[in-house]
Amino acid sequence: MMGKTLQDVLEVSSPEGLEQECSFYFEGKPLPEHFSYALKEKEELVLTLVDFSPSSYHSDLSFTLKANSRIVLKMFSLCPRSVEKKITVSIHHLGKDSFSRVSFFGIDFSEKKFSFVGNSYIPKGMSGSDTRQEGRITNLAKDCKSEVSPALYIEENDVKASHGAALGTYDQDQVYYLMSHGLDETESKRLITSGLLRPILERLKSKEIAQRAQKALEVFSL
Amino acid sequence: MEQLQIQGLACSVEGKEILHGVDLTIDKGDVIALLGPNGHGKSTLLHCLMGSPHYQVTRGKVLWDKEDFLSLPTDKRSKKGLFMAFQNPPDVPGVVTMDFFRGMINAHREKPISLLDFYKTTTKAYEQVGLDSEMASRHLNEGYSGGEKKRNEILQMLLLKPELALLDEIDSGLDVDALSLVARAIDKAREEGTTFLVISHYDRLLEMIHPNRTAVMVNGKIALEGDEKLSSRIAKEGYSFLEREYHIDLSKAEEEKISLGVCGAKVSR
Repeated sequence: MMGKTLQDVLEVSSPEGLEQECSFYFEGKPLPEHFSYALKEKEELVLTLVDFSPSSYHSDLSFTLKANSRIVLKMFSLCPRSVEKKITVSIHHLGKDSFSRVSFFGIDFSEKKFSFVGNSYIPKGMSGSDTRQEGRITNLAKDCKSEVSPALYIEENDVKASHGAALGTYDQDQVYYLMSHGLDETESKRLITSGLLRPILERLKSKEIAQRAQKALEVFSL
Repeated sequence: MEQLQIQGLACSVEGKEILHGVDLTIDKGDVIALLGPNGHGKSTLLHCLMGSPHYQVTRGKVLWDKEDFLSLPTDKRSKKGLFMAFQNPPDVPGVVTMDFFRGMINAHREKPISLLDFYKTTTKAYEQVGLDSEMASRHLNEGYSGGEKKRNEILQMLLLKPELALLDEIDSGLDVDALSLVARAIDKAREEGTTFLVISHYDRLLEMIHPNRTAVMVNGKIALEGDEKLSSRIAKEGYSFLEREYHIDLSKAEEEKISLGVCGAKVSR
Protein backbone atom coordinates (compact mmCIF):
# COMPACT_ATOMS: atom_id res chain seq x y z
CA MET A 1 0.00 0.00 0.00
CA MET A 2 2.96 2.30 0.64
CA GLY A 3 3.20 5.14 -1.82
CA LYS A 4 -0.40 4.89 -3.10
CA THR A 5 -2.85 7.68 -2.60
CA LEU A 6 -6.23 7.13 -1.07
CA GLN A 7 -7.74 7.47 -4.55
CA ASP A 8 -5.62 4.52 -5.62
CA VAL A 9 -6.85 2.59 -2.65
CA LEU A 10 -10.41 3.53 -3.44
CA GLU A 11 -10.03 2.26 -6.97
CA VAL A 12 -8.50 -1.04 -5.92
CA SER A 13 -10.71 -1.38 -2.91
CA SER A 14 -11.39 -5.09 -2.96
CA PRO A 15 -13.42 -7.40 -0.73
CA GLU A 16 -10.23 -7.79 1.32
CA GLY A 17 -10.19 -4.06 1.96
CA LEU A 18 -7.20 -2.11 3.25
CA GLU A 19 -4.26 -3.76 4.88
CA GLN A 20 -4.58 -3.97 8.63
CA GLU A 21 -1.94 -1.32 9.14
CA CYS A 22 -1.04 1.18 6.46
CA SER A 23 0.40 4.65 5.97
CA PHE A 24 0.08 7.21 3.20
CA TYR A 25 2.23 10.16 2.45
CA PHE A 26 0.90 13.08 0.43
CA GLU A 27 3.66 15.24 -0.95
CA GLY A 28 2.35 16.69 -4.20
CA LYS A 29 -1.28 15.63 -4.46
CA PRO A 30 -3.84 16.84 -1.98
CA LEU A 31 -6.01 14.46 0.02
CA PRO A 32 -9.04 13.26 -1.96
CA GLU A 33 -12.13 15.45 -1.94
CA HIS A 34 -14.25 12.50 -0.82
CA PHE A 35 -13.22 9.14 0.47
CA SER A 36 -15.27 6.55 2.27
CA TYR A 37 -14.42 3.15 3.56
CA ALA A 38 -16.56 0.58 5.33
CA LEU A 39 -14.97 -1.76 7.81
CA LYS A 40 -16.49 -5.21 8.00
CA GLU A 41 -17.39 -6.95 11.25
CA LYS A 42 -14.29 -7.54 13.41
CA GLU A 43 -12.07 -5.79 10.86
CA GLU A 44 -9.24 -3.76 12.34
CA LEU A 45 -7.51 -0.87 10.62
CA VAL A 46 -4.62 1.29 11.75
CA LEU A 47 -4.25 4.12 9.26
CA THR A 48 -1.62 6.87 9.26
CA LEU A 49 -1.92 9.81 6.88
CA VAL A 50 0.89 12.31 6.49
CA ASP A 51 0.02 15.33 4.38
CA PHE A 52 2.58 17.82 3.08
CA SER A 53 0.52 18.83 0.08
CA PRO A 54 1.36 22.41 -0.96
CA SER A 55 -2.09 23.11 -2.44
CA SER A 56 -5.43 24.15 -0.98
CA TYR A 57 -8.14 21.53 -0.64
CA HIS A 58 -11.22 20.39 1.23
CA SER A 59 -11.30 16.72 2.06
CA ASP A 60 -14.07 14.58 3.55
CA LEU A 61 -12.96 11.21 4.86
CA SER A 62 -15.66 8.87 6.09
CA PHE A 63 -15.40 5.50 7.78
CA THR A 64 -18.21 3.15 8.70
CA LEU A 65 -17.76 0.58 11.42
CA LYS A 66 -19.65 -2.69 11.76
CA ALA A 67 -19.89 -4.77 14.95
CA ASN A 68 -16.58 -5.28 16.77
CA SER A 69 -14.58 -3.45 14.13
CA ARG A 70 -11.84 -1.05 15.11
CA ILE A 71 -10.15 1.90 13.47
CA VAL A 72 -7.20 3.94 14.68
CA LEU A 73 -6.61 6.92 12.41
CA LYS A 74 -3.63 9.18 12.96
CA MET A 75 -3.23 12.21 10.75
CA PHE A 76 -0.51 14.73 10.41
CA SER A 77 -1.04 17.71 8.14
CA LEU A 78 1.06 20.71 7.41
CA CYS A 79 -0.53 23.86 6.01
CA PRO A 80 2.04 26.01 4.16
CA ARG A 81 1.75 29.77 3.72
CA SER A 82 -1.14 31.04 1.50
CA VAL A 83 -2.79 27.63 1.52
CA GLU A 84 -6.25 26.80 2.87
CA LYS A 85 -7.09 23.32 4.05
CA LYS A 86 -10.18 21.81 5.57
CA ILE A 87 -10.18 18.20 6.62
CA THR A 88 -13.28 16.46 7.89
CA VAL A 89 -13.13 12.98 9.33
CA SER A 90 -16.43 11.26 10.06
CA ILE A 91 -16.69 7.97 11.90
CA HIS A 92 -20.05 6.17 11.78
CA HIS A 93 -20.44 3.47 14.41
CA LEU A 94 -23.01 1.23 12.74
CA GLY A 95 -22.26 -1.88 14.77
CA LYS A 96 -22.19 -2.75 18.45
CA ASP A 97 -18.88 -2.78 20.32
CA SER A 98 -17.14 -0.85 17.57
CA PHE A 99 -14.08 1.20 18.39
CA SER A 100 -12.54 4.32 16.92
CA ARG A 101 -9.67 6.62 17.70
CA VAL A 102 -8.99 9.68 15.56
CA SER A 103 -6.09 11.95 16.32
CA PHE A 104 -5.25 14.84 14.08
CA PHE A 105 -2.11 16.86 14.44
CA GLY A 106 -1.52 19.92 12.31
CA ILE A 107 1.17 22.55 11.93
CA ASP A 108 -0.01 25.83 10.49
CA PHE A 109 2.16 28.34 8.64
CA SER A 110 -0.72 29.88 6.68
CA GLU A 111 -2.58 33.16 7.05
CA LYS A 112 -5.58 31.39 5.49
CA LYS A 113 -7.87 29.00 7.24
CA PHE A 114 -6.64 25.58 8.33
CA SER A 115 -9.32 23.49 9.96
CA PHE A 116 -9.96 20.03 11.21
CA VAL A 117 -13.47 18.80 11.88
CA GLY A 118 -13.84 15.38 13.47
CA ASN A 119 -17.29 13.83 13.84
CA SER A 120 -18.18 10.62 15.59
CA TYR A 121 -21.71 9.29 15.16
CA ILE A 122 -23.12 6.55 17.43
CA PRO A 123 -26.82 5.90 16.68
CA LYS A 124 -29.27 4.34 19.14
CA GLY A 125 -28.70 0.63 19.67
CA MET A 126 -24.93 0.63 19.00
CA SER A 127 -24.11 -0.21 22.60
CA GLY A 128 -20.56 -0.88 23.75
CA SER A 129 -19.13 1.48 21.15
CA ASP A 130 -16.11 3.49 22.05
CA THR A 131 -14.91 6.61 20.28
CA ARG A 132 -12.45 9.43 20.72
CA GLN A 133 -11.79 12.41 18.47
CA GLU A 134 -8.90 14.68 19.17
CA GLY A 135 -7.28 17.45 17.22
CA ARG A 136 -4.36 19.73 17.80
CA ILE A 137 -2.94 22.46 15.60
CA THR A 138 0.26 24.28 16.41
CA ASN A 139 0.44 27.75 14.88
CA LEU A 140 3.89 28.70 13.74
CA ALA A 141 3.08 31.99 12.05
CA LYS A 142 1.73 35.15 13.64
CA ASP A 143 -1.41 35.46 11.52
CA CYS A 144 -2.65 31.87 11.57
CA LYS A 145 -6.39 31.17 11.45
CA SER A 146 -6.73 27.60 12.53
CA GLU A 147 -9.72 25.74 13.86
CA VAL A 148 -10.13 22.38 15.53
CA SER A 149 -13.56 20.97 16.11
CA PRO A 150 -13.91 17.40 17.34
CA ALA A 151 -17.61 16.61 17.76
CA LEU A 152 -19.61 13.71 19.15
CA TYR A 153 -23.16 12.84 18.03
CA ILE A 154 -24.32 10.16 20.45
CA GLU A 155 -27.81 8.65 20.67
CA GLU A 156 -26.95 5.54 22.70
CA ASN A 157 -26.36 5.58 26.47
CA ASP A 158 -24.06 2.60 26.82
CA VAL A 159 -20.98 4.03 25.10
CA LYS A 160 -17.62 5.58 25.81
CA ALA A 161 -17.02 8.84 24.01
CA SER A 162 -14.57 11.65 24.46
CA HIS A 163 -12.98 14.45 22.53
CA GLY A 164 -10.16 16.95 22.89
CA ALA A 165 -9.00 20.02 21.05
CA ALA A 166 -5.95 22.22 21.34
CA LEU A 167 -4.68 25.22 19.45
CA GLY A 168 -1.46 26.90 20.31
CA THR A 169 1.92 28.14 19.36
CA TYR A 170 5.38 27.21 20.55
CA ASP A 171 5.53 26.44 24.22
CA GLN A 172 7.57 29.35 25.57
CA ASP A 173 8.88 27.27 28.44
CA GLN A 174 10.25 24.65 26.06
CA VAL A 175 11.95 27.25 23.86
CA TYR A 176 13.44 28.94 26.93
CA TYR A 177 14.65 25.63 28.32
CA LEU A 178 16.44 24.69 25.11
CA MET A 179 17.89 28.19 24.72
CA SER A 180 19.15 28.12 28.29
CA HIS A 181 21.38 25.26 27.17
CA GLY A 182 22.92 27.26 24.33
CA LEU A 183 20.68 26.46 21.38
CA ASP A 184 19.63 29.60 19.53
CA GLU A 185 15.96 30.39 19.02
CA THR A 186 15.78 29.03 15.46
CA GLU A 187 17.48 25.78 16.38
CA SER A 188 15.30 25.40 19.48
CA LYS A 189 12.12 25.85 17.45
CA ARG A 190 13.36 23.50 14.74
CA LEU A 191 14.02 20.81 17.34
CA ILE A 192 10.61 21.27 18.93
CA THR A 193 8.81 21.20 15.58
CA SER A 194 10.63 18.03 14.54
CA GLY A 195 9.65 16.58 17.88
CA LEU A 196 6.00 17.28 17.23
CA LEU A 197 6.16 15.23 14.05
CA ARG A 198 8.25 12.40 15.43
CA PRO A 199 5.40 10.24 16.82
CA ILE A 200 3.83 10.25 13.35
CA LEU A 201 7.09 9.56 11.54
CA GLU A 202 7.76 6.64 13.83
CA ARG A 203 4.58 5.06 12.50
CA LEU A 204 5.68 5.26 8.89
CA LYS A 205 7.11 1.95 7.77
CA SER A 206 9.21 3.45 4.99
CA LYS A 207 12.35 5.15 6.24
CA GLU A 208 12.65 6.97 2.92
CA ILE A 209 9.22 8.53 3.32
CA ALA A 210 9.92 9.39 6.95
CA GLN A 211 13.14 11.15 5.93
CA ARG A 212 11.36 13.06 3.16
CA ALA A 213 8.65 14.12 5.57
CA GLN A 214 11.24 15.22 8.12
CA LYS A 215 13.10 17.21 5.49
CA ALA A 216 9.88 18.81 4.23
CA LEU A 217 9.01 19.87 7.75
CA GLU A 218 12.42 21.42 8.28
CA VAL A 219 12.13 23.35 5.03
CA PHE A 220 8.74 24.70 6.07
CA SER A 221 9.93 25.43 9.63
CA LEU A 222 12.86 27.64 8.72
CA MET B 1 34.17 34.33 34.72
CA GLU B 2 35.99 36.21 37.41
CA GLN B 3 33.00 38.05 38.81
CA LEU B 4 29.26 38.47 38.33
CA GLN B 5 27.85 41.67 39.77
CA ILE B 6 24.13 42.06 40.32
CA GLN B 7 23.36 45.70 41.01
CA GLY B 8 19.93 46.96 42.06
CA LEU B 9 18.14 44.35 40.00
CA ALA B 10 14.36 44.72 39.90
CA CYS B 11 12.01 42.60 37.86
CA SER B 12 8.32 42.07 37.30
CA VAL B 13 5.95 39.38 36.21
CA GLU B 14 2.78 40.57 34.49
CA GLY B 15 3.26 44.01 35.95
CA LYS B 16 3.86 42.84 39.51
CA GLU B 17 7.33 43.57 40.87
CA ILE B 18 8.95 40.51 42.43
CA LEU B 19 12.55 41.65 42.85
CA HIS B 20 12.93 45.11 44.36
CA GLY B 21 16.62 45.82 43.92
CA VAL B 22 18.88 42.81 44.39
CA ASP B 23 22.57 43.45 45.07
CA LEU B 24 24.90 40.48 45.06
CA THR B 25 28.43 39.90 43.85
CA ILE B 26 29.52 36.40 42.94
CA ASP B 27 33.25 35.77 42.68
CA LYS B 28 34.95 32.93 40.85
CA GLY B 29 35.13 29.85 43.07
CA ASP B 30 32.22 30.85 45.29
CA VAL B 31 29.58 28.37 46.32
CA ILE B 32 26.78 30.56 47.56
CA ALA B 33 23.73 29.16 49.33
CA LEU B 34 20.78 31.35 48.35
CA LEU B 35 18.26 30.93 51.13
CA GLY B 36 15.02 32.58 52.13
CA PRO B 37 11.39 31.83 52.91
CA ASN B 38 9.17 30.51 50.12
CA GLY B 39 7.91 33.03 47.62
CA HIS B 40 10.43 35.79 48.31
CA GLY B 41 12.10 35.79 44.88
CA LYS B 42 14.95 33.27 44.91
CA SER B 43 13.89 31.35 41.79
CA THR B 44 12.89 34.62 40.13
CA LEU B 45 16.44 35.88 40.54
CA LEU B 46 17.85 32.76 38.88
CA HIS B 47 15.41 33.00 35.97
CA CYS B 48 16.19 36.69 35.52
CA LEU B 49 19.87 35.87 35.27
CA MET B 50 19.15 33.11 32.74
CA GLY B 51 16.83 35.36 30.71
CA SER B 52 13.39 33.81 31.13
CA PRO B 53 10.78 35.43 28.86
CA HIS B 54 8.31 35.40 31.77
CA TYR B 55 10.21 38.07 33.70
CA GLN B 56 10.79 41.67 32.73
CA VAL B 57 13.83 43.37 34.21
CA THR B 58 12.72 46.89 35.10
CA ARG B 59 15.80 48.31 36.81
CA GLY B 60 19.37 47.46 37.63
CA LYS B 61 22.35 45.83 36.02
CA VAL B 62 24.06 42.50 35.80
CA LEU B 63 27.72 42.60 34.83
CA TRP B 64 29.66 39.51 33.75
CA ASP B 65 33.31 40.44 34.16
CA LYS B 66 32.22 44.09 34.05
CA GLU B 67 30.37 43.63 30.75
CA ASP B 68 26.63 44.06 30.41
CA PHE B 69 24.99 40.66 30.65
CA LEU B 70 21.28 41.46 30.49
CA SER B 71 21.36 42.55 26.87
CA LEU B 72 22.37 39.04 25.81
CA PRO B 73 19.70 36.57 24.68
CA THR B 74 19.36 33.40 26.74
CA ASP B 75 21.44 31.22 24.42
CA LYS B 76 24.32 33.71 24.45
CA ARG B 77 24.24 33.76 28.26
CA SER B 78 24.63 30.00 28.16
CA LYS B 79 27.50 30.28 25.70
CA LYS B 80 29.20 32.77 28.02
CA GLY B 81 29.25 30.01 30.64
CA LEU B 82 26.02 30.34 32.62
CA PHE B 83 24.00 27.22 33.35
CA MET B 84 20.77 26.74 35.19
CA ALA B 85 19.46 23.48 36.64
CA PHE B 86 15.69 23.93 36.55
CA GLN B 87 13.47 23.19 39.50
CA ASN B 88 10.78 21.91 37.13
CA PRO B 89 12.31 21.23 33.73
CA PRO B 90 9.60 21.04 31.08
CA ASP B 91 8.83 17.89 29.10
CA VAL B 92 9.77 18.30 25.45
CA PRO B 93 7.86 15.51 23.68
CA GLY B 94 9.38 14.16 20.51
CA VAL B 95 12.81 15.66 21.16
CA VAL B 96 15.19 12.78 21.77
CA THR B 97 17.48 13.51 24.71
CA MET B 98 20.56 12.42 22.78
CA ASP B 99 19.80 14.85 19.93
CA PHE B 100 19.32 17.64 22.44
CA PHE B 101 22.58 16.84 24.21
CA ARG B 102 24.52 16.87 20.95
CA GLY B 103 22.95 20.16 19.92
CA MET B 104 23.66 21.61 23.35
CA ILE B 105 27.32 20.48 23.39
CA ASN B 106 27.91 21.61 19.80
CA ALA B 107 26.42 25.02 20.58
CA HIS B 108 29.32 25.51 22.99
CA ARG B 109 32.04 24.37 20.60
CA GLU B 110 33.51 25.60 17.37
CA LYS B 111 33.72 22.14 15.82
CA PRO B 112 30.99 19.52 16.34
CA ILE B 113 31.84 16.79 18.83
CA SER B 114 32.75 13.45 17.25
CA LEU B 115 30.36 10.56 17.74
CA LEU B 116 32.94 8.63 19.73
CA ASP B 117 33.70 11.52 22.07
CA PHE B 118 30.01 12.20 22.47
CA TYR B 119 29.36 8.57 23.38
CA LYS B 120 32.25 8.48 25.88
CA THR B 121 31.36 11.80 27.49
CA THR B 122 27.66 11.10 27.89
CA THR B 123 28.20 7.54 29.12
CA LYS B 124 30.56 8.80 31.82
CA ALA B 125 28.16 11.59 32.83
CA TYR B 126 25.26 9.15 33.09
CA GLU B 127 27.41 6.99 35.37
CA GLN B 128 28.28 9.96 37.55
CA VAL B 129 24.64 10.77 38.24
CA GLY B 130 23.57 7.13 38.54
CA LEU B 131 21.26 7.06 35.54
CA ASP B 132 21.04 4.41 32.84
CA SER B 133 22.56 5.81 29.63
CA GLU B 134 19.68 4.15 27.74
CA MET B 135 17.69 7.17 28.87
CA ALA B 136 19.46 9.17 26.17
CA SER B 137 17.16 7.58 23.62
CA ARG B 138 14.03 8.76 25.43
CA HIS B 139 12.22 12.01 24.79
CA LEU B 140 13.57 14.90 26.83
CA ASN B 141 12.20 14.84 30.39
CA GLU B 142 9.07 13.03 29.22
CA GLY B 143 7.98 10.35 31.66
CA TYR B 144 10.99 10.98 33.91
CA SER B 145 10.38 10.67 37.63
CA GLY B 146 11.06 13.74 39.77
CA GLY B 147 14.42 12.33 40.85
CA GLU B 148 15.41 11.41 37.30
CA LYS B 149 14.67 14.95 36.16
CA LYS B 150 16.92 16.40 38.84
CA ARG B 151 19.76 14.02 38.05
CA ASN B 152 19.31 14.74 34.36
CA GLU B 153 19.76 18.44 35.09
CA ILE B 154 23.03 17.77 36.91
CA LEU B 155 24.11 15.50 34.07
CA GLN B 156 23.68 18.41 31.66
CA MET B 157 25.80 20.57 33.95
CA LEU B 158 28.55 17.94 33.80
CA LEU B 159 28.36 17.88 30.01
CA LEU B 160 28.54 21.66 29.64
CA LYS B 161 31.11 22.39 32.37
CA PRO B 162 29.73 25.89 32.98
CA GLU B 163 31.61 28.72 34.64
CA LEU B 164 28.62 29.65 36.79
CA ALA B 165 25.89 27.15 37.68
CA LEU B 166 22.55 28.19 39.12
CA LEU B 167 20.91 25.26 40.91
CA ASP B 168 17.25 25.75 41.71
CA GLU B 169 16.19 23.28 44.43
CA ILE B 170 18.14 20.52 42.74
CA ASP B 171 17.86 18.39 45.88
CA SER B 172 14.08 18.30 46.27
CA GLY B 173 12.64 14.88 45.55
CA LEU B 174 16.00 13.09 45.77
CA ASP B 175 16.58 10.14 48.05
CA VAL B 176 19.71 10.01 50.23
CA ASP B 177 21.77 8.02 47.72
CA ALA B 178 20.81 10.26 44.83
CA LEU B 179 21.60 13.29 46.94
CA SER B 180 25.12 11.96 47.60
CA LEU B 181 25.65 11.41 43.86
CA VAL B 182 24.49 14.92 43.08
CA ALA B 183 26.69 16.39 45.82
CA ARG B 184 29.71 14.49 44.45
CA ALA B 185 28.94 15.78 40.95
CA ILE B 186 28.76 19.33 42.30
CA ASP B 187 32.07 18.86 44.12
CA LYS B 188 33.70 17.58 40.95
CA ALA B 189 32.42 20.52 38.91
CA ARG B 190 33.65 22.86 41.64
CA GLU B 191 37.13 21.29 41.49
CA GLU B 192 37.10 21.90 37.76
CA GLY B 193 36.35 25.58 38.29
CA THR B 194 32.58 25.97 38.30
CA THR B 195 31.14 28.65 40.57
CA PHE B 196 27.74 27.99 42.17
CA LEU B 197 24.63 29.81 43.31
CA VAL B 198 22.46 27.19 44.99
CA ILE B 199 18.87 27.41 46.20
CA SER B 200 17.95 24.72 48.69
CA HIS B 201 15.43 24.28 51.48
CA TYR B 202 17.26 21.31 52.97
CA ASP B 203 20.45 21.46 54.97
CA ARG B 204 21.56 17.98 53.92
CA LEU B 205 22.80 19.10 50.51
CA LEU B 206 24.42 22.20 51.94
CA GLU B 207 26.19 20.06 54.56
CA MET B 208 27.61 18.00 51.72
CA ILE B 209 28.75 20.81 49.42
CA HIS B 210 29.90 23.30 52.12
CA PRO B 211 28.98 26.70 50.67
CA ASN B 212 31.57 29.36 51.51
CA ARG B 213 28.89 32.07 51.51
CA THR B 214 25.21 32.43 52.34
CA ALA B 215 22.80 35.03 50.99
CA VAL B 216 19.30 35.36 52.41
CA MET B 217 16.59 36.76 50.19
CA VAL B 218 13.59 38.40 51.83
CA ASN B 219 10.89 40.30 49.96
CA GLY B 220 12.83 40.50 46.74
CA LYS B 221 16.10 41.77 48.20
CA ILE B 222 19.23 40.24 49.65
CA ALA B 223 18.53 40.99 53.30
CA LEU B 224 21.59 39.38 54.85
CA GLU B 225 24.86 37.82 53.79
CA GLY B 226 27.18 35.59 55.76
CA ASP B 227 29.39 32.54 55.62
CA GLU B 228 28.58 28.84 55.94
CA LYS B 229 27.65 29.30 59.60
CA LEU B 230 24.66 31.40 58.58
CA SER B 231 23.17 28.62 56.44
CA SER B 232 23.84 26.10 59.24
CA ARG B 233 22.08 28.32 61.75
CA ILE B 234 19.08 28.80 59.44
CA ALA B 235 18.92 25.01 59.00
CA LYS B 236 18.77 24.58 62.79
CA GLU B 237 16.63 27.55 63.84
CA GLY B 238 14.66 28.60 60.80
CA TYR B 239 14.35 32.26 59.80
CA SER B 240 12.73 33.75 62.90
CA PHE B 241 16.07 34.87 64.43
CA LEU B 242 16.47 37.27 61.49
CA GLU B 243 13.56 39.29 62.86
CA ARG B 244 14.82 39.18 66.46
CA GLU B 245 18.47 39.89 65.85
CA TYR B 246 18.60 41.73 62.54
CA HIS B 247 15.16 43.39 62.51
CA ILE B 248 14.41 41.92 59.11
CA ASP B 249 10.67 41.89 58.46
CA LEU B 250 9.84 38.41 57.18
CA SER B 251 6.19 39.12 56.47
CA LYS B 252 5.52 39.29 52.77
CA ALA B 253 4.87 42.69 51.30
CA GLU B 254 1.14 43.31 51.39
CA GLU B 255 -0.69 42.45 48.21
CA GLU B 256 -2.46 45.27 46.47
CA LYS B 257 -6.12 45.25 47.26
CA ILE B 258 -8.28 44.27 44.33
CA SER B 259 -11.75 45.63 43.76
CA LEU B 260 -14.10 42.89 42.70
CA GLY B 261 -16.50 45.49 41.37
CA VAL B 262 -20.22 45.74 41.92
CA CYS B 263 -22.33 42.80 40.90
CA GLY B 264 -25.67 44.06 42.19
CA ALA B 265 -27.25 47.31 43.33
CA LYS B 266 -30.36 48.05 45.30
CA VAL B 267 -32.63 50.44 43.52
CA SER B 268 -34.78 52.67 45.70
CA ARG B 269 -38.24 53.55 44.45
